[in-house]
Amino acid sequence: MTDPVRAAPEDSTLVRVRGLTTVLNGKTIFDALDLDIPRGKVTAIMGPSGTGKTTLLKHITGQMRADAGEVLVDGQNVAQLSRERLYKMREGIGYLFQNSALLTDFDVFENVAFPLRQHTALPEVLIRNLVLLKLQAVGLRGAARLMPNELSGGMARRVALARAIVFDPMLILYDEPFVGLDPVALNQVLKLIRTLNQTLGITSVLVAHELEAIKQVADHVFLIANGKVVAQGDPKTIANDGSPWTRQFFGGDADGPVPFQYPAGDYAQALGFAGAAK
Amino acid sequence: MSQQRSSYAIGTGLFIVLGFATLVYLATQTTSVANVHQGASYTVDAHFANIGQLKERAPVKIAGVRVGQVRSITLDPSSEQADVKFAIDQRYSRIPDDSVATIFTSGLLGDQYVGIQYGTSKKLVADGGTLTMTKPAQQLEEMLGKFFGAGGVADNLGGTYSVKARFTNVGSLSVGAPVKMAGVAIGSVQTVHADPVKLDAEVIMAIDKRYNAIPDDSSAAVFTSGLIGTQYVAIQPGGSPDALKNGDEMVLTQSAMQLEDLIGKFLVNGSPSDKKDAGNAKPTDTPAGKQ
Amino acid sequence: MNARAPQGNNVVTQSLAQIGNCGLFLLTLLAAIPRSLRYFRETVRQLWFVGAMSLTIIMVCGLFVGMVLMLQLYSVLSTFGGTSASGMVVAVAVYRELGPVVTALLFAGRAGTSITAEIGLMRATDQIDAMEMMAVDPIAYVATPRFLAGLIAMPLLCTVFCAMAVLGGHLVGVTWLGIDNGTFWSNMTAVVEVHSDIVNGVLFKSLAFGAVVALIAVYQGFTTPPTSEGVAYATTRTVVASSIAILALDFVLTAFLM
Repeated sequence: MTDPVRAAPEDSTLVRVRGLTTVLNGKTIFDALDLDIPRGKVTAIMGPSGTGKTTLLKHITGQMRADAGEVLVDGQNVAQLSRERLYKMREGIGYLFQNSALLTDFDVFENVAFPLRQHTALPEVLIRNLVLLKLQAVGLRGAARLMPNELSGGMARRVALARAIVFDPMLILYDEPFVGLDPVALNQVLKLIRTLNQTLGITSVLVAHELEAIKQVADHVFLIANGKVVAQGDPKTIANDGSPWTRQFFGGDADGPVPFQYPAGDYAQALGFAGAAK
Repeated sequence: MSQQRSSYAIGTGLFIVLGFATLVYLATQTTSVANVHQGASYTVDAHFANIGQLKERAPVKIAGVRVGQVRSITLDPSSEQADVKFAIDQRYSRIPDDSVATIFTSGLLGDQYVGIQYGTSKKLVADGGTLTMTKPAQQLEEMLGKFFGAGGVADNLGGTYSVKARFTNVGSLSVGAPVKMAGVAIGSVQTVHADPVKLDAEVIMAIDKRYNAIPDDSSAAVFTSGLIGTQYVAIQPGGSPDALKNGDEMVLTQSAMQLEDLIGKFLVNGSPSDKKDAGNAKPTDTPAGKQ
Repeated sequence: MNARAPQGNNVVTQSLAQIGNCGLFLLTLLAAIPRSLRYFRETVRQLWFVGAMSLTIIMVCGLFVGMVLMLQLYSVLSTFGGTSASGMVVAVAVYRELGPVVTALLFAGRAGTSITAEIGLMRATDQIDAMEMMAVDPIAYVATPRFLAGLIAMPLLCTVFCAMAVLGGHLVGVTWLGIDNGTFWSNMTAVVEVHSDIVNGVLFKSLAFGAVVALIAVYQGFTTPPTSEGVAYATTRTVVASSIAILALDFVLTAFLM
């Protein structure tokens, strides 16, 4: 990627989120969220379900527009990019979907070759070599001619990863990469994330819940709740920073700052014990 | 995958070619385009007193073979006649100038066309020439009207009397059908049923009392009103001094005539003579159906 | 293209909102045509799925429509002695009305539903989002090629349908009921006109129906909630909306073209 806009390499922050505010269907997802994702590191974003972690990824890729605030990727304000510039930027971002999102019409090889075919006019030989290279990297060169419905969940995710890195992106966003994987497949994906980060220096952003996996791979953790970053730091030490959020989240308590009860009216009143409410 | 891709492309190509080929087929073989001759043609004029439903591009035929088409139809303001121009294929350029152009109807409900019957003249009609002898379109209604009268069922306010008649075939005569004399309805059919012994159809007619002087040797016939109309009983008066009375039976009957038979006879009588003396066509305006 | 579910409190406003959204979506589709030209192969591929794969059903149905039409006409016209006109009536009826309408209804059932279901599933499995992320415009890559394929396929399918119907009429009329072969064709060629029957009937109507069916199918696919119930519901709606639109449009077009 010879991207002229990738200026200021001394800037150690690749994605800068400032004052991000999003309201979806009357519900505030982000409330003036500030977040910095360091270049060349593996950053994990954690938080209770429904806090908008996937939404945050969509803000980074420009699929959603914020109600207020801005998201800067490599110095560019995503919301202000034209369609062409946005698409140009997206070519530098790999995105691993939760359910892999392989194109069902095409086999594994063509799925990985898809971005190349769409954005380059490379000769067939070169495309073939590039695709086989990436498939070899995820260990699925032998599965090149299988169709997506013939793959297991772990294999599909590895193919999706091969597709995400086919352009050697500067940033990969992993949306729940460990969900629904058996321990072997989970470790394979884990190994790939680490390898990609260490050997190619690709900045990685993980949205995940698996504490053990994150401890192994992440350099930095953000804990998001109620639309704000409530805790951040090294994954090995963050659990002990004393905040009630981290205590509940890393301890896995059923009740705490994240309430067990969905907000509701007075319980006794709802049951009809009007007198008890007085 | 590239193999798969090219097979899509080939299949799709086949599909498009098939579609277009079918379109060309439909447009050229099942439409009036199929009737347009591309070859050179020459123009011949003819004036008709009445062209009926003749339309532009209607075929021009000789001996039933298509030789050209009607190019234009205009009204000649000076003579109150229709000026019809034919475009006739150059191959058929040896048409005598006394040939007769007639407007025919193809089939019963078909479109009209121009038929040319060769004359005997040694002179040939040239490009731009005129066929002076023509026969106008025959209105089928007129023709048939000459055979059959038409009219409504008589009102039988004055009461009726019954007359019986036996037919070997009543066609599709039904109860309530009119009974006519001289084309005027004088009664209606009351019952129609088959006689199990005599093996024919017995028809009982109710005739208006006003018509009480019908000779008893009158004959009854089952006719059809118009081409596709219902059938009715026509009474042809005889010469007997005695009149039909209530309950009498008419002895002389003529069964239903099938239209096909009728037309068949008509055609058989007409066509051989036309063939034998080809130049015998009558250049008059009288209807062809007069025999 | 994450068109919101139409807001409204009653059927009328909701239907209006649907039609409005659909119209806006058509503009989006048309605007994406220049961008989708680079995905020409995809259009060809869709033409294969949408058009060529519908050929069998179209041909079989066309044959039967022609056959049954001829049977009915024969029994009616024989009472007037006009059976020789039945071939012509089959051709005119099929070219002007039955061909475009029945083809469009079959097309909605066969190709329209599969387009809706396919796009709906692509949305449900994030494939549309994945394309966005790979900097491939899903409107230009998914929607417009299918729309164009429908637009191209319908007139071709309709033509094939009409030819098969005439063939079916010939089969029953000439081979079975004994109408004279020459009469069958000459009556047909005497009446059927290229402009009013083939161009206005077969081509123009089917082009309009193809656009409507393809638009509705693609629109439903793109706007359905990306869940399995949503896809099932959208598929049904494609058939219902297409059928109504086809028949209503047929009336309008016929009134205009007469």
